[in-house]
Amino acid sequence: MTRTKATAALFGAAFGFLISWGQFADPDRIRDMLLLRDPYLYLMMASAVAVGFVGLRLLTRRGARAFLTGRPITYERTRPQPRHFAGAAIFGVGWSIADSCPAPIAAQLTQGVVWSVFTIAGIWLGILLFLKRQERREQVPERRALGGLAVDKPPG
Amino acid sequence: MKDLLLHRPAWYVLGPLLGLVVLGLYAAISERFGVVGGYSNVVERISGRLPKLGWKAWVLFGVLGGSLVYRLAAGRSNIGDGYGWLTRTFGGSGGHLIVAGLLVAAGVLIGFGAKTAGGCTSGNGLGGCSAGSTSSFAATATFMGTAIVCSFLIKAIT
Repeated sequence: MTRTKATAALFGAAFGFLISWGQFADPDRIRDMLLLRDPYLYLMMASAVAVGFVGLRLLTRRGARAFLTGRPITYERTRPQPRHFAGAAIFGVGWSIADSCPAPIAAQLTQGVVWSVFTIAGIWLGILLFLKRQERREQVPERRALGGLAVDKPPG
Repeated sequence: MKDLLLHRPAWYVLGPLLGLVVLGLYAAISERFGVVGGYSNVVERISGRLPKLGWKAWVLFGVLGGSLVYRLAAGRSNIGDGYGWLTRTFGGSGGHLIVAGLLVAAGVLIGFGAKTAGGCTSGNGLGGCSAGSTSSFAATATFMGTAIVCSFLIKAIT
């Protein structure tokens, strides 16, 4: 697990370095892209996905295994559900206000943008709200099941 | 070297490099790259929902470390003063409170929305789309479309 964590940190570091170099931590750059003044973000994302898409297919077609864990390389493909649209729309509103998303916000922090502390606090709060909502929803069927058992009990 | 780092590389250089990062994590540990999962890991650990931090938290720590290395190598930050449209629109000490409040609110929407959608710009936009997941393509199109429309709305009212 330590090697897995070290590897995750290494790829995270490469990502953090690259997005900082690409100026994605600058809210004004993101605003220019969202106002369609600058196509950089869209071209960058399209080319990144193209490399990932082709590379991943080459790896899986050859039946490659992950070189660190030995697990077969697999990836999850899921069909869109309402939560994907709803969650992404909520995320999009937040993205347009902060002109930043989770990785660039972390990069802002280490580049000395003190404002990022507020966005990070908000992200943690949002995640906590999601977890609490999820736990509440998981408890409802349990309660219903318990209620059902109580009703089914023979009298006396 | 510093001059090179202070100018952003061409999209056809940066995009494939980021694609290789996503691909590299699949090749190393067979996992989808994403950053919001790291924030979530930290929240779950602090709130006692997780016994220890998982690998996703280390992706986030890596992002922090990598951007710090960039900052040190470049010699200075490449981010402008203030905070974009927010500090330009809301000036003064009262304005700062509004900016802080709006950033917290935006963060809540980002955190809650990304968890609901199963990923953020990196998780759905890069990792999920690289896997060819239709849910990630749908989420990416939705958050990009929403963000573009909202940005024009913000521009219109400010």
